[in-house]
Amino acid sequence: MRTLVCIKQVKSLGDEVEFTADGTDVDPDYLDAALNEWDSYATEEAIRLREAGGGEVVVVTCGPQESEAALRRCLAMGADRAIRVEGVEGHDPIRVARALAEVVHDESPELVLCGVQSSDAVQAATGTALAELVGMPCVAVVAKLEVGSGPARVHRELEGGLVDLVDVDLPAVLTIQTGINEPRYANLRAIKQAEQVEIEVRQSSAEPASSRIRRMFTPPRGEGAEMLGSDPAEVARRIAEIVQERVA
Amino acid sequence: MSVLVVAEHLRGEVRDVTRELVTAGKELGPVTVAVIASDPESLVAGVDVEGVAEIVTVAAGAAEFESDTYRQALEALIAARTPKVVLIGFTVNAMGYAAAVAAKLGLGFASDVHGVTLEGETVVATRSFYGGKVHGEVEFPGAATVILALRPTTWPPAEGAGGASRSTFDLAPSPSRARHVEFVEPAASTDVDITQADLLFSVGRGIGDADALPELEALASRMGAVLSVSRPVVDAGWMPSSRQVGQSGKTVKPKVYLAFGISGAVQHLAGMKASGTIVAVNTDPEASIFGVAHYGAVADLFDVVEELEKLY
Amino acid sequence: MARDPKHDILFEPIQIGPKTMKNRFYQIPHCNGFGSEKPFSQAYFRATKAEGGYAAVSTEYCSISPESDDTHRMSARLWDDEDIKNLSLMCDMLHEHDCLSAAELWYGGPHAPCMESRCVARGPSQIPSDFEYLTYAIEADKDDIRYLQHLYVEAAKRARSAGFDIVYVYGSHSYLPQQFLTPFYNKRTDEYGGSFENRARFWRETIEQVKEAVGDECAIAVRMSTDMFMGEAGTQLKRDCLPFVELVDELVDVWDINLSGIAEWGEDATPSRFYEQGRALPWQAAVKEVSKKPVLGVGRWTNPDAMSDAIREGKLDIIATCRPSTSDPFLPKKIEEGRLDDIRECIGCNVCISRWEIGGPPLICTQNATAGEEYRRAWHPEKFTPATNADNDVLVVGAGPAGMECAMVLGKRGMRRVHLVEAHEDMGGTMRWIPQLPGLGEWARLVNYRKIQLDKLANVEFIPSTKLSAKDVAEYGAEIVVVATGSYWATDGLNGASHDVIPGADASLPWQATPDQVMGEGKTLDGERIVIFDNDGYFMGVSLAEFYAAAGKKVTLLTPMGNVAPYMHFTLEAPNMHRRLHSLGVEIVTYHLPTRFEAGSVVATHVYDEHGHETTWEADGVVLVSQRRSDDALYRALKDEIGLDGLRSEGVDALYRIGDCEAPRLIADAVFSGHRLAREIDSPDPSIPLPFRRERRVVDPSFVKDERGWYAEQLAGAV
Repeated sequence: MRTLVCIKQVKSLGDEVEFTADGTDVDPDYLDAALNEWDSYATEEAIRLREAGGGEVVVVTCGPQESEAALRRCLAMGADRAIRVEGVEGHDPIRVARALAEVVHDESPELVLCGVQSSDAVQAATGTALAELVGMPCVAVVAKLEVGSGPARVHRELEGGLVDLVDVDLPAVLTIQTGINEPRYANLRAIKQAEQVEIEVRQSSAEPASSRIRRMFTPPRGEGAEMLGSDPAEVARRIAEIVQERVA
Repeated sequence: MSVLVVAEHLRGEVRDVTRELVTAGKELGPVTVAVIASDPESLVAGVDVEGVAEIVTVAAGAAEFESDTYRQALEALIAARTPKVVLIGFTVNAMGYAAAVAAKLGLGFASDVHGVTLEGETVVATRSFYGGKVHGEVEFPGAATVILALRPTTWPPAEGAGGASRSTFDLAPSPSRARHVEFVEPAASTDVDITQADLLFSVGRGIGDADALPELEALASRMGAVLSVSRPVVDAGWMPSSRQVGQSGKTVKPKVYLAFGISGAVQHLAGMKASGTIVAVNTDPEASIFGVAHYGAVADLFDVVEELEKLY
Repeated sequence: MARDPKHDILFEPIQIGPKTMKNRFYQIPHCNGFGSEKPFSQAYFRATKAEGGYAAVSTEYCSISPESDDTHRMSARLWDDEDIKNLSLMCDMLHEHDCLSAAELWYGGPHAPCMESRCVARGPSQIPSDFEYLTYAIEADKDDIRYLQHLYVEAAKRARSAGFDIVYVYGSHSYLPQQFLTPFYNKRTDEYGGSFENRARFWRETIEQVKEAVGDECAIAVRMSTDMFMGEAGTQLKRDCLPFVELVDELVDVWDINLSGIAEWGEDATPSRFYEQGRALPWQAAVKEVSKKPVLGVGRWTNPDAMSDAIREGKLDIIATCRPSTSDPFLPKKIEEGRLDDIRECIGCNVCISRWEIGGPPLICTQNATAGEEYRRAWHPEKFTPATNADNDVLVVGAGPAGMECAMVLGKRGMRRVHLVEAHEDMGGTMRWIPQLPGLGEWARLVNYRKIQLDKLANVEFIPSTKLSAKDVAEYGAEIVVVATGSYWATDGLNGASHDVIPGADASLPWQATPDQVMGEGKTLDGERIVIFDNDGYFMGVSLAEFYAAAGKKVTLLTPMGNVAPYMHFTLEAPNMHRRLHSLGVEIVTYHLPTRFEAGSVVATHVYDEHGHETTWEADGVVLVSQRRSDDALYRALKDEIGLDGLRSEGVDALYRIGDCEAPRLIADAVFSGHRLAREIDSPDPSIPLPFRRERRVVDPSFVKDERGWYAEQLAGAV
């Protein structure tokens, strides 16, 4: 079975921030890059499927040259091939999905795995949009996956931990939740070997965007806490209310 | 500007987030709420609140959520009604279909939105980036319809009786390719993993003594919370480091973080400031924690605890 | 990163007499084992703190006369004009960083045994020292008193010549001037004894004379113990200290406020086991109420918020540190730059102090492996030269103190990739559970600091929950392999007293356990009576005794040694540890070696009993704290089974081991071991430590006699 895993090299911000000249993004000098946490679970899940039933694991990302480091992470874990799609920069998940759809068409995987969301954008949309563009069903937030003959049985993890058992016809797109497995470590040998692997680079045309960021800014600090007063009984009452409203 | 809200329901109950969408939506225009289920009538009462102009029921699919049904229903509703804005809660369900609709129809899309404004006829959504450290204003040039998945608990839920007008919408969807089988309750976890808790009851050096801990832990438990601590409590040897929130402990993002007697050292804040809602109780009005808290109280934590014990 | 405005107050300059401190950070007089005889080690040690932002740095206690010779403990000396030269290097180096230098002029009286000089001290009364029991002083008459004061004046002048900005007339922790003030030491009936005024006279006169001699150019500091906790006999805050402050306040430029006497000075240099930071603040604040001059004082200060609060609340003017300045000489700079998570906090273990107490060795620090090595090994705490063999990947197996330190320093030296692999899900090794022992919570800072630093290093990856076999290690893909798998407590009673196992000792049985099993694995011992067999000599046995006794068990701590936990005498933890065990009802049995363990009992004989008479203790559970063994299984498999050639064929060029898996040692030494290997990873043979600078005097071997027939002291140099 060929599994295509869509990954993202995400960016994280420290305590200091500067914006680009046009103010629509953070200055790259202030960002650190890493493989998206959810995607390592997705990659691990794909590798386990291959170990159980044979086949191939292909990882793909949309990003600039530096995002190949994330692909190589996955190769070091045991992915077989890696593809990078160039020409699709920015924060629009649907545009990314269109670029990935081209790869799905070419690779014809039986299963497409994405992470539930990326830690830097938290759109939780790319996999879902991709599914529709390639005519596959989508189940999002998968905490357990069983592939046999016939439909796959997945556990969809709802808020509060309730599990929804879903049967899904393959080929399908599944977005993978953290904790579904324990991603294996890659030893130095595997990392070094992954350095040598040739990554296929494709171009994608810039499709119309579904959104555009017109400005990024740091949220006003010192809006300050809404003070609940100093009467313990009133404070306790408000706390109980907040807990009731916002948890579960 | 017409607004279409997609109701979310689970096991026969309309979820709170739906009513929050109504509050958000009515600022933008007349709100229509779509209820999609095999028997949507039974759910109408849960969405008939103030601010809803129309409720449209779509009797289709299964009793519970299935992504193909909602996708097809929404696509059809958009084609028929051409709303300017579609509001969905940013939930696990939404993650299964919302972006699919936007991709198929070429619509505007943004999720985890916590601010929506209208500039003339243009919708601008505000959402966070880079772990919530920066916000961004997002616009949707040329989009006839914009789908926004709103962050739950950002808007207050609409209440009262709406007296909305009623209509039905026929849909004959193709069979679901991802089918609900059954629900399974989550297994009770024996391990205390503070990173998995939705509600953390966190205490710091303000508790004074290890003796206070059993009572605090019992209260936390009754509140459905997990007890976590800041560094000084671990330093003093009162709790193991597995309970420590902070840069050298664990980073947590619960829905609600209650901080009792925690002053808010830089390293502690680094471990919890991404929490959904932070409530801080401290006798020191200058405590740094008040800078990141959403709610604060300058009070003695034990006085507040005593009052909480009456409520739980 | 910017300084938190809350901490601005720590960087306000302050005037002390004719001098100005550029900020509020002061390194209090403290020992380092270098004295005046190792002037380069001394100067580089002190100057590193100046580079780190300290505004004033002091010598250790600085002897003013051969009559005040503390051998075997190392003090600085200003006995003659030649001594000026050695200490002037320290002053010059401090001044390069705009840092003031202080000399703590010291005369020990009966406390100084003069074992090198063979002189005799003078003191207020002739009673042997309360901790140097063989040392008597000459009971000073008026001529002696004039002479003593003259010694201070001459020493102060030498200090000024050396370049010192601040000169102390040092009294705490019960040295000469404070001995005159304190009834415990002063039984005189002349005008130097009896009433407060009389008892204060010597000190006051000495301060006057020193001020007159050097006060125009040097700030005069007085270090005083405000309370010896000895009741009426000792110095008391209200009866003696505050009146003295009022009496001489005009003469003094800065007050250095301490607690305690000398016999239990752990009440001042507080171990974290018993006291939190800022213990002395109430006493320091009391002095600030009556004095118009700046007040400085220690408190094992590590938290900049607490430091700022102390000054803002008017309790202290200057934050003085000893141990926190050793664990991180760059504390002030890091606060200034807002790099709070880079601060390597003191853990309050007092291992640094233990070296001075033992007498002779240079200080070491559990948190900071470079302490004392600034000159000897040219290690700078913040600077790491790029490794010349950085184009290599390193596998460090084991994330205990040695492994964490090694991986961190290798990362800072720019090794291409470092993988730190740990079998457990958390970092720390035994330092995961040692801080869970009663009172040792702050020791977790050792792990916390390294966790944060390792996380920041892009070229270091921490891989938890992974136990590597020898084959896994060989095939890992690292060119350099460092084994840091630690040690475990012997499960068979093997011990240093009998050099043998103990019949019946078997920690696999349900009623016996080792410390690893109890604290690391959660093994419980049922029943009421716990017997702990302890031949370790340091904290493990007594900590477990406290642990079980606090949980309600009836505990017997049994040791063949004459004293339980003797090393804790050196860390100043012994008196309170004994008090704690006593209050918990722990039975301490010394001089007894177990001959066998049987279910339900421990049978032992007195080590000096020639007839081998046995005594039996009832025991439901037994804890074996006999000794540690290296956990070297992995290393042995790599070296013996796979072999160095076998490793080489897999691409592993080098195999090293560090820390306890090489030989069990102090935590401080395990950290040092990892640090050293990483610093020397690009030396020709990193397994052998490079020579360090000893500052020895090397003679010129031509050995020529002078006109008296003496072989003259001709030196080739000092290396």
